[in-house]
Amino acid sequence: MHLNTRQITDKAFTVLTGASVVLLTVVLLIVLGPITWRGAKAVIFKDTIEFRKMQFALYHRGNYEDLQSEIAEVHQFRDAAYLIIDEFKHGIDTDELIDESKQIYRQFGKELKYKGTSGAEYQQIRSLAREIRDKLQATFQSNDKQIIQENIDYILQYRTNGEFVDTAAAGFFTLGEDFLKSVENIDLDKRQEYAGALQKVEDIILHLLGPKPDDPVPALSMDRYGATRWDLAQKLLDQLLWSEKWVQKEADQPMIKVRTLRAEQFEGTKLEPLFGYVQSNLDRMMKPMPTFYWRYFIDDSTPGHYFGGVGPEILGTLLLTLLAMIFVIPLGIISAAYLVECASDNMAVRIIRMGINTLAGVPSIVFGLFGLAFFVLFLIPLFGGASKPCILAASLTLAVLTLPVMIRASEEAIRSVPQTYKEASLGLGASRFRTFMKVTLPAALPGILTGIILSLSRVAGETAPILFTGAVALGPLPKSLFDPTRTLSYGSYDIAVGDRLAMMVPHKQYGMVVTLVLLILCLNAVAIILRAKVFRRLRGN
Amino acid sequence: MRKEIIVCGLVMLSLVLASELIASQKQTLQIEGSTTVGPIADAFAEAFNSKYSNLDITVKKTGSGDGAAALVDGRCDIAIMSRFMKEKEYKKAVENGIFPVAHVVAMDGVCIVVHPSNPVAQLTTQQIRDIYQGKITNWKQVGGPDLEIVAISRDTSSGTYETFHGLVMKKEEMAAGVEYVNSNPQAHARVKTTVGAIGYVGIGFLDANVKALKVDGVMPSRQTIATGQYPVARPLFMFTNGYPKLGSMIYKFCTFYLSETGQEIIEAKGFIPVTNY
Repeated sequence: MHLNTRQITDKAFTVLTGASVVLLTVVLLIVLGPITWRGAKAVIFKDTIEFRKMQFALYHRGNYEDLQSEIAEVHQFRDAAYLIIDEFKHGIDTDELIDESKQIYRQFGKELKYKGTSGAEYQQIRSLAREIRDKLQATFQSNDKQIIQENIDYILQYRTNGEFVDTAAAGFFTLGEDFLKSVENIDLDKRQEYAGALQKVEDIILHLLGPKPDDPVPALSMDRYGATRWDLAQKLLDQLLWSEKWVQKEADQPMIKVRTLRAEQFEGTKLEPLFGYVQSNLDRMMKPMPTFYWRYFIDDSTPGHYFGGVGPEILGTLLLTLLAMIFVIPLGIISAAYLVECASDNMAVRIIRMGINTLAGVPSIVFGLFGLAFFVLFLIPLFGGASKPCILAASLTLAVLTLPVMIRASEEAIRSVPQTYKEASLGLGASRFRTFMKVTLPAALPGILTGIILSLSRVAGETAPILFTGAVALGPLPKSLFDPTRTLSYGSYDIAVGDRLAMMVPHKQYGMVVTLVLLILCLNAVAIILRAKVFRRLRGN
Repeated sequence: MRKEIIVCGLVMLSLVLASELIASQKQTLQIEGSTTVGPIADAFAEAFNSKYSNLDITVKKTGSGDGAAALVDGRCDIAIMSRFMKEKEYKKAVENGIFPVAHVVAMDGVCIVVHPSNPVAQLTTQQIRDIYQGKITNWKQVGGPDLEIVAISRDTSSGTYETFHGLVMKKEEMAAGVEYVNSNPQAHARVKTTVGAIGYVGIGFLDANVKALKVDGVMPSRQTIATGQYPVARPLFMFTNGYPKLGSMIYKFCTFYLSETGQEIIEAKGFIPVTNY
């Protein structure tokens, strides 16, 4: 070949290989970068007082006194916000007021009976109270300020009546007065509109601050706390300040999103200052603080992974992986030794080889179904165990799945040990078994370890084989090998397909994936260090 | 060094076996089945864990069909399903000496959703069927902008697909151009990001990022689904082997939806409780 062409092809080769390495790195960064970035948010983020409350309630972490004083501090600022809402609500939410007036009426009736008021007088006072109640209810439902004013004035004239002073009925008058005050700034025709808009504001406040201290505690822990993360709190603040609406600007075109200040909806009312107040006091209401939540890797989670960490998942993945390795390593090496050292080249061995090669190409879900049919439904009951998915069945399935990889890698490693080593050993009078154990195997160990690394990563990340044989979405920590377990791979699948929670806690989902990647990296690092050590010993250093 | 490793291994193995003997004093409850009902089971489990300390609940979510199969094989105590048992499953269960009893724990509405920029506010079931069969391909044909329709469906093995397929498609086949996604969150994400998209999700997945359409003039809501006015709704089931023994844990779990807390939880999870509590 011409010298020039050779140089050009050489250069082209160098450039191409360099470029492919760069490409690989870029692809890796594009794939892993965003995942890692989002996953890291599960561990490193800015928490809020709600997060610390949750940690204390669920895991008993933090100092009780400190937490209480912090809660008292934020409540100073929160109470002001609640007050604004309550005042405004008084004029809007008439159902509540009507209920309250009914309550007062009932209470008053009981009091009268208790006092032993005589029949006729009782009837008379009670009918007067009923009249006041009905008038009050009519007032609440009225949209005319004139009528409201007249009605309240009418009611208030009974205030000094002897029958009502210092009784439950006094509540009627304060209720009426408060109502009069709260409707002062409200356009009553817009009451319906306000009620709808107020509901939205209250919803957002509930998500931001959590339930009020004197409200009943919700059944699920996910509803017990407000925004536990500062980024979530800011997102909610944005929702509170701005309302989004899709409007049709041009006919036959898609609608366009328009953001308007929510404060404008409540212009001139008592609620208007709320928005500015929350905006400027949000950090005082939430007390954000940067955290490094390392316990994410050991904590249990609440069902659905809304709070907490991935501790049981890590444990389950480790158990399954290591157990599968315990099964597959000896089996793989022995099979490889047979194929290299003992098997002659006949039909049976060729079929075995073909079987191994085919096994390597079988989709993993097939192994899962095989594991269900063979281990769970047949083998374990045969030995008297309960026929249910368990760690043992899952790890055996994983072992079968990765067996071909292990056999092929070990076979290559054993085959590449120089023939002269073996000849020397045999020449010294060692038996074939002794030669294999003392000479061939140590020399092949680095290659076998490579096989182990490959199968380890495969096993740790597999979902399909354990789907039916040993993984659960929710369950206690396994107490024996005959219990099912949670794993990282199945956990991330579960979050992705299950619940709308997945949309609310993306950091949890990515956190789990990143944990899985980290775990595999760690396991591989251990194997690689081990390989380097073996290699050094082999070279005699 | 090798000996040490072997000894370590043996010690660990014996520990595991010993723990097996000590353990299993606790009551267990095995739940298996639908990914749709799974969140309800999860949440009930949370409530039960705090109530009864001596109880271990496991939940597996692999699909309604697997739940039925597990109940038939006696591998689980409660099968959670987003559809009723098929005739074949029922027959097999009875042959195995298992008598499935259905408990309807909640209702779920399948909402037809579009991108929020889409001005179309309602469709009839006929129109939706035509869209998924490829007879209507542009939003212009149903009173919207000149925009191609991207029809998105759940995978054919999901209970949500089955509901949609039965109630809207009347068991007719979908066109080849329909795009299939694997889960509710995925369907939601696909509609959220595609201007011309139409898809269907459970009512729990409705938020400001997608717009629910009126179907045959009825808006999906708690009221319309509970009363059966909304046409694309379904009950969600828990199946047990026979009616559970009164007072047993299975009984408590299957009737928890009747309690106020249970209904509150069902609502918090985005489903519709069966009664007005």
